[in-house]
Amino acid sequence: MLQVRNIEKYYGSKNHVTKALDRISFNVTEGEFIAIMGASGSGKTTLLNCISTIDTISAGSILLNGIDISELGESELARFRRERLGFVFQDFNLLDTLTIEENIGLALTLNHSDSHAVQNRVQEVSGKLGITDILGKFPYQVSGGQKQRAACARAMVAGQSLLLADEPTGALDSTASKNLLEIMTRMNHEMGATILMVTHDAYSASYASRVLFLKDGKIFNELLRGERNRSVFYREILNVLALLGGDISDVI
Amino acid sequence: MTLSKLSLRNAKRQAKDYLVYFVTVVMAAALIYAFNGLVFSKEVLELSAHLSSLPAAIVFASIVVVCIIGWLVHYTTGFMLTKRSRELGTYILIGLESKQVTRLFLMENLTIGGVALVLGTLLGNLLYQVLRAIVLALFGMPYHFGFSFSLRALGLTLLYFALIYLFAQIKSRMRIRSMKIYDLIYYEKINEEEIIQKSSRRRRTFVISIVFGIIGTLLIMIGQAPPSFIGAACIIVFLYGFFISFSSGVPAYFESRPAKKYSRQTLLVFRTLSAKLATMGVVMATISLLFTAVLISQGMGLVFSSIFHNREAQSCSFDLYIASYDTNVNLSKCLDFVHTNIPVTCELQYPVYLTEDSPITDYLESTARYYRYYPKDTMMKYSDYAALRAMLGYPEASLEPGKYLIHCAPYIKGLLEDYDRNVMLNGEDLAQGNIYTENFNQRLYLSGNGFEFLLVVPDELLEKCTVGSINYAAMTTVPVRETQLISLSNQLSRSTEPLSEDFIGIYSKAQAEADAAFGITIFVLPLYYLALILTMTTVTILTIHQLSEINRYRQQFDLLRKLGMEKREMVGTLRTQFAIYYAMPAIPPLLITIPFILHMGKEVDPGILIGASHPVVILGITLGLFFLIYAIYILLAYTGLKRNVLPYA
Repeated sequence: MLQVRNIEKYYGSKNHVTKALDRISFNVTEGEFIAIMGASGSGKTTLLNCISTIDTISAGSILLNGIDISELGESELARFRRERLGFVFQDFNLLDTLTIEENIGLALTLNHSDSHAVQNRVQEVSGKLGITDILGKFPYQVSGGQKQRAACARAMVAGQSLLLADEPTGALDSTASKNLLEIMTRMNHEMGATILMVTHDAYSASYASRVLFLKDGKIFNELLRGERNRSVFYREILNVLALLGGDISDVI
Repeated sequence: MTLSKLSLRNAKRQAKDYLVYFVTVVMAAALIYAFNGLVFSKEVLELSAHLSSLPAAIVFASIVVVCIIGWLVHYTTGFMLTKRSRELGTYILIGLESKQVTRLFLMENLTIGGVALVLGTLLGNLLYQVLRAIVLALFGMPYHFGFSFSLRALGLTLLYFALIYLFAQIKSRMRIRSMKIYDLIYYEKINEEEIIQKSSRRRRTFVISIVFGIIGTLLIMIGQAPPSFIGAACIIVFLYGFFISFSSGVPAYFESRPAKKYSRQTLLVFRTLSAKLATMGVVMATISLLFTAVLISQGMGLVFSSIFHNREAQSCSFDLYIASYDTNVNLSKCLDFVHTNIPVTCELQYPVYLTEDSPITDYLESTARYYRYYPKDTMMKYSDYAALRAMLGYPEASLEPGKYLIHCAPYIKGLLEDYDRNVMLNGEDLAQGNIYTENFNQRLYLSGNGFEFLLVVPDELLEKCTVGSINYAAMTTVPVRETQLISLSNQLSRSTEPLSEDFIGIYSKAQAEADAAFGITIFVLPLYYLALILTMTTVTILTIHQLSEINRYRQQFDLLRKLGMEKREMVGTLRTQFAIYYAMPAIPPLLITIPFILHMGKEVDPGILIGASHPVVILGITLGLFFLIYAIYILLAYTGLKRNVLPYA
């Protein structure tokens, strides 16, 4: 579904160039749940931004369903984002003047969906994510976990094929994090959502089926969960992180 | 870093963030200084004896201006305090005493005010020259640019500014002192509640407020004191009720119509606006109220200036004019005085005659809003008429045998053409001839060339007719000014019986012009001064509210971009939000002002508000002026917002 081929990303001026991404390549098949891990500054958010077309790459190519997104024009990119991609951010990024229902419905409005069908579609998706009872509330009236579930609903309500999550549990307590990760797993298993999640939390990463480790802009390692249970996978992730080095408090 | 350095740096930042506010305070200082310049200008005050009351009128207007600008400074300071409460709380948190923080905040505001005052005074000097030029032009005096700096005007401006800032500072000091660190740090998080929650009450308030609005506008249109006051009160109730209930009513409307809500950009536009209206319904209503006051005072100003101007033009066309309806009056001594003291180029003493009955006056009374000033219709000899026309430089008017001419005010020309009846005079039947409408001293009470109309007939037919008034018209080489008219009047009172003085009027074109200029200077200029200050103040408050939410807007559009909204749509959404935000407080004043001004036009004597002074033209100019200033601020705010919110668009 997604092919990342030798992408590079440089920042800075002529005299001082920082290489944020260094020849990264990987594939994501439909229905996969991939976690990208790494310490602060390893390039994981840059990678996610490049895939989400918010940022541009310096070299290489990114293909989604065979389309090279680095060759799309501005208007096509906007269309690509609203039709194919769903976003979940660390700080929820819900509009505080809109109710939860409207925040979810916004994705459909942007897609110029039939305005008569919006409410039913929102009801349907929020039913699956267990947030029907808070639809009439404003973001400041609900908990962080509920906000994040609303963001998940927005990320899939318009039938987007790839869900990009940037530290989705970063602002949540442990119970809410666990709830959210279970919901994301359900979205992955039951609704067939393909998920690409950036995290520096090993516990969150252990919910994925595959983990890519980034260090200094390069893929350092890759772990596949296979048939192992989550706690075994979690320990393996910790082992790789130990090899990666860096501040341990940064990764647990 | 010392406190003063910190406050200076903060003041700079504040001036940049609140540029619109800063510009308005500078403009206010400039206007206050310029008008104070008029108060202390000997040159202006000596233009007319009546102008001795000008300082009082301007000081009165300035007191109102001080209150308005005081409100702006107080409001904006309070607003900045809210937006910066976390920063001020942090100062206290790191160990500054609350007294020091208060001083820091007040010093910043004083610095902004001080700089605005200096810039405003400099600009005010130029503005004063503009005002001086206007007043001199009104009085027909030549204008020469002369840079003058009035220390007394500066002193008065300083006093006004001291009052403005003293008021704002006391209020802010009280506010900061009474706040705890927690309040300061979490002040922004206080959510304002909707004032009216229940939808049934909301709808009722909405309907009742509309009813009040209609009643208020109708009462104001009556134009008399008690109904107007009640009308104004009704309009205040309407505006507050309307904005408070409207901000709550919009979400209710869309909640029951989800398809409408989710179509195109409606969702984003209505939610942003209703969020704003829910927190600033009262402010919006106040702004709307002030807009109404601005439009009404601007409209009234134009109506007044048209009245002054047109009355002047219609009342006295001759350089000197003496008229008496005491037909036994002896003007010889008075005219001797004229001949010795005033350089006359041509003159004519002539009678105005009365008909035996008043068919034309009756006709006009029944068909137009015409007031009967003369008991009968008025007539003039053709030879006198021709001489008077020649004196005024009007083209010759020929009188064909068997006909009579009419000279009338333009607005009744059509009616008299329709009248078209013969006049029987001394047994001779005269048919209607040409009708002329130039200015011809036809608005003087009982002593002009008829009131708004006059028949011109062959000389011989008037021999046996009753004389209505004895008139004297003269053209001079220099304008006949107020002082000469007073001497002339004294001369007359010495030469005639005391009773006769009441029957005699002395007029001059220069005096009529001076009277109009006086009226405009004393009423219209202060009215415009107030209107200008009010417009700038209210638009500034609207704009500050809009610009203070730049961060929120930026976050919103950043997210929308990530979610795939196209640039075109983003610009469209921003524009629509912007347009509705600025249109909201302007619509109710328009609905009140348009019928008010149009109705005002009907209340004025007929024949005054015509041509370029037609009520529709006045309305157009009033709205044009107001929306010009409004548009400048909107454009400033929009470019600032777009640059910050949609830098990539």
